[in-house]
Amino acid sequence: MKAVSIVKKNKLLFLVALAYLVILVISPDKAIKSIGNSVYYLVEMLQVLPVIFLLTVVIEALVPKEMIMRGFGEKSGFRGNLLALLLGSISAGPIYAAFPISKTLLGKGASISNIVIILSSWAVIKVPMLANEAKFLGVNFMIIRWVLTVIVIFVMAYITGMIVKKKDLPVDSKKAETLEIKEDYCIGCGLCVKLLPEYYEMNQNKAVVTKMPEGKEAVLALKESIEKCPSKAIILNKEEIVS
Amino acid sequence: MDIFTIAFWIIAIVLTVISLIKDKKKTFAAMKKSKGMMGNMLGEIVAIIFLIGLVLTFIPPETIKIVLGSANTFVSTVVSALVGSITLIPAFVAFPLVGSLVDVGASIVPAVAFLTTLTMVGIVTFPLEKKEFGTKFSLTRNALSFGFAIVIALTMGVIL
Repeated sequence: MKAVSIVKKNKLLFLVALAYLVILVISPDKAIKSIGNSVYYLVEMLQVLPVIFLLTVVIEALVPKEMIMRGFGEKSGFRGNLLALLLGSISAGPIYAAFPISKTLLGKGASISNIVIILSSWAVIKVPMLANEAKFLGVNFMIIRWVLTVIVIFVMAYITGMIVKKKDLPVDSKKAETLEIKEDYCIGCGLCVKLLPEYYEMNQNKAVVTKMPEGKEAVLALKESIEKCPSKAIILNKEEIVS
Repeated sequence: MDIFTIAFWIIAIVLTVISLIKDKKKTFAAMKKSKGMMGNMLGEIVAIIFLIGLVLTFIPPETIKIVLGSANTFVSTVVSALVGSITLIPAFVAFPLVGSLVDVGASIVPAVAFLTTLTMVGIVTFPLEKKEFGTKFSLTRNALSFGFAIVIALTMGVIL
C-alpha cells in the first residue's frame, strides 16, 4: 500500500528509471552514455540548488510581506505597482498559489492592474530562480529576459485594467460564521490539523473542517491557523473578524 | 564553478547569516517550510535531469538544431509557446531542460517563448482562475500573456 503511494507520488521518476532499465538491457552503451550526459546536468543542478534553497529561506524570514500587502490600494499609483511587482517576485510556488492571496488583496481594495502584476510576476519572476536561470542559460540571457518581462508585465497590467473592471469579477456570497477550506488550494501539509485537531481533520490528503466555530474565543484560536496556512486556503466567513 | 554561481553562493550565505542573527526562530521555521517544498520537487528534478540525458543520447544534436534551430523560427516559437501553455512542470526543472537544448543548438527564441508561457499562461489552471476572477479577467490575462511571451521571445532573438 505504501509502496504504491510512493510510486504514485514519483510517477515521472519511476517512468524514467524504467526507461533506463529497458535501455540498459537492449543497448548498454547508450544507457551509460545517457547517464554520463545526465551527470553533467546533475552536478550543475547541485551547485545551484542550495543557493535557491537559502534565498527562499531568507526571503521568507526577512521580508515583511504583511507590510508590503498593505501598500497597494485603489489609489496607490506607481508605488503600488512596484510593491505588487515586489510581492509577486519574492513569493514561492506556482501561479495558482497566488490566487487566494490575490483574492484577499482584491477584497482589501487592490486594483485590477496590481492583481495582474502580482499574478504575472509571481509566475515568471522568482528571485531565487534567477540563480537557476543564470546557471543554465547564462547571465546575459537572464538579465535581458528579466528586463523585458518586467516591461511587459506593466504593459499587460495597464491593458487589463482598461478592459476588465471590478464589476466583471465574481462576488463571493457571504455566509455568516462559516469556516471552510478551499480544496483546490489545500496542499495537504497538515499544519492546521496539528494546530487545531478539534476543528480540522485530514481526509484523502486534504484538510477538511469538522466543526463550525462558535463564539469569540473559537474565532481567535482559528485566526492562527488561518494565518499559518501556507497556501491561504482556510477561509473564515464573518464580517471583519480576520482584520 | 563559474564566477556568477560563486557570487550567488556568497550572497545567499551572507543573507542567511544576517537572517539567523536577526531572527533565529523565524529563519528555522522558514527552512522547515522550504525544505518541505523542495523535498516534494526533488523526485521530479532528478527525473527530468535523467530525462535530459536520454534526450541528448537518442535525439542527435543535428535533429534538434534543424527542428528548434534553423527551421522557420516563427512557427517553432508559436509551437513552443503552445507547448509551454499546456505543460505544467515547475520552472525549476525547466531551466536545465531548456539549457540542454540550447547547448546542442536549439535557437533561443522558441526557448524563451516556452519558458515564459510555461509559467505565465495556464491552460490547466484556467478553470481555477476563472472561478476566482471571472471569465473576462482570465481570458484577457492569459491571451495577453501568450501574445507578449512571443514578443519577448522575438525581441530577445534580436538582442542576443
